[in-house]
Amino acid sequence: MSAEQPPRPPTAKLPAEGGAAPLMEVEGLKKSYGPKVVLRGVDMQVTRGEVVTILGPNGCGKSTFLRCLNLLEQYQDGVVKLKGEVVSRGRPEDRKATEEEQAAAQALRLRVGMVFQRFNLFPHMTVLENVMVGPKKVLLRSHSEAYDVAERMLSKVGLWEKHPCDPLTLSGGQQQRVAIARALAMNPDVMLFDEATSALDPVMTRDVFGVVRELAAEGMTMILVTHDMDFARDISDRTVFMEEGVVAAVGTPEYIFDQRPVPGIQKFLQRG
Amino acid sequence: MESIREYLVEQIFIWKLLAAARYPLYLTALAMPLAVVFGLVLAAMRRAKTRFLSWPAVFYVEVVRGTPLLVQIFLVYFALPKLGHLLFNSDILTIGPFPCGVLCLAGNYAAYESEILRAGLDAVDKGQREAALSLGMSERQAFGYVILPQAFRIVIPPIVNDMVAMLKDTCLVSAIGVRELLKTAENIGREKANLSEMYMAASILYMLLSLGCYFLGKWVEKKLKAKGGQELPAGKFEH
Repeated sequence: MSAEQPPRPPTAKLPAEGGAAPLMEVEGLKKSYGPKVVLRGVDMQVTRGEVVTILGPNGCGKSTFLRCLNLLEQYQDGVVKLKGEVVSRGRPEDRKATEEEQAAAQALRLRVGMVFQRFNLFPHMTVLENVMVGPKKVLLRSHSEAYDVAERMLSKVGLWEKHPCDPLTLSGGQQQRVAIARALAMNPDVMLFDEATSALDPVMTRDVFGVVRELAAEGMTMILVTHDMDFARDISDRTVFMEEGVVAAVGTPEYIFDQRPVPGIQKFLQRG
Repeated sequence: MESIREYLVEQIFIWKLLAAARYPLYLTALAMPLAVVFGLVLAAMRRAKTRFLSWPAVFYVEVVRGTPLLVQIFLVYFALPKLGHLLFNSDILTIGPFPCGVLCLAGNYAAYESEILRAGLDAVDKGQREAALSLGMSERQAFGYVILPQAFRIVIPPIVNDMVAMLKDTCLVSAIGVRELLKTAENIGREKANLSEMYMAASILYMLLSLGCYFLGKWVEKKLKAKGGQELPAGKFEH
């Protein structure tokens, strides 16, 4: 990892330890698959408009943690709060979700958008339909309302002219931008990015990061798991370093990247 | 004049045979949709997490796939009414030959279609369900709007394949006296003492019907243009 970094615009936003009430709070989140413990109690606060990146070696649980935040993975212990209100709780592995818990999970996912490593666009729908299906089927908007939202979101990611296309005819970077538009169309409080650029080449990665940067400038709250150190350093208000299922260090990107407060970071950055 | 009339009367059997060619189509048109619907139920049962649902489905599929269709037809047509008399002392389980034929074809093919559908549902990328859920869809919405339409495209070619096979298997219901194509050909052949020619004619008709079905299937396939999941090399980007 070279010491040279692109010049970083000074950010006005302060870390969560500042005065503002956190938008999303995670307390003591624990997750295991059978006997294998993946997350050993993760705490995290994210304020409105903050961009948090999560770094860590493979297998440290960062992707699992992100997936727990919108309950694509059920965690066993802990609490997740949105705007101070408890939106999900840990549940033992052997107990199935009750109806209320399922409804609560659905309500939670409405407020938390997610972008996946492999885009996961719906291949049987056009680009436009991909973005419209959420507002239409979930938020029960009318066709014209959903169309307007889709037009705005696709224009935001610079792909409105692709709206009649088949998603699989698009490049990876374009597909990922459509996936971002699809998530944004639900007007979420928080956006989660699960290694959104790991399947993309550098040029496509730049395009996707351009969109993420724009969202950050608009004040979207985002949590990103990424392997792109330059980008993490550039975009984060705060960087979280995870190791073996716990948060090993949190701080400004400068603190994490330059001071390397725990030995794990040293090792991690050298290898990268 | 007289001889022409005689000749035409003589040739009526051809029209009878051609008219009978509608039976394989009727039987298939009735039984195949039933088989797909029942197959979907079986596939859903087999995918269910509780054994109370999955085991009966497994049992049904294995029994049906493990026994000949002709035997199944005989059992439903001859043995089921007896069971009805024994248990309920009524004709409640007695079924006419044509409905029995449709039921047996549907029940038999449902076992095969359920396996096709199960494979089709499994072939849809797991990420599709997750993406649907992350948009706030319920499991049911994710299944209906996202998973099923994709699985459907995947299973169209093998189901069309089975439809052609069923068309030919409809001749088995002649064994319980349904006057379909084979039975009609036999009847004419016995009457005219040209059984070999009639079997030949029936074969040609079955083949023409199969080809028709095949091309219809190809056309539908083209219209739906099967699309699988994302075209990324599997595993390459996994951790």
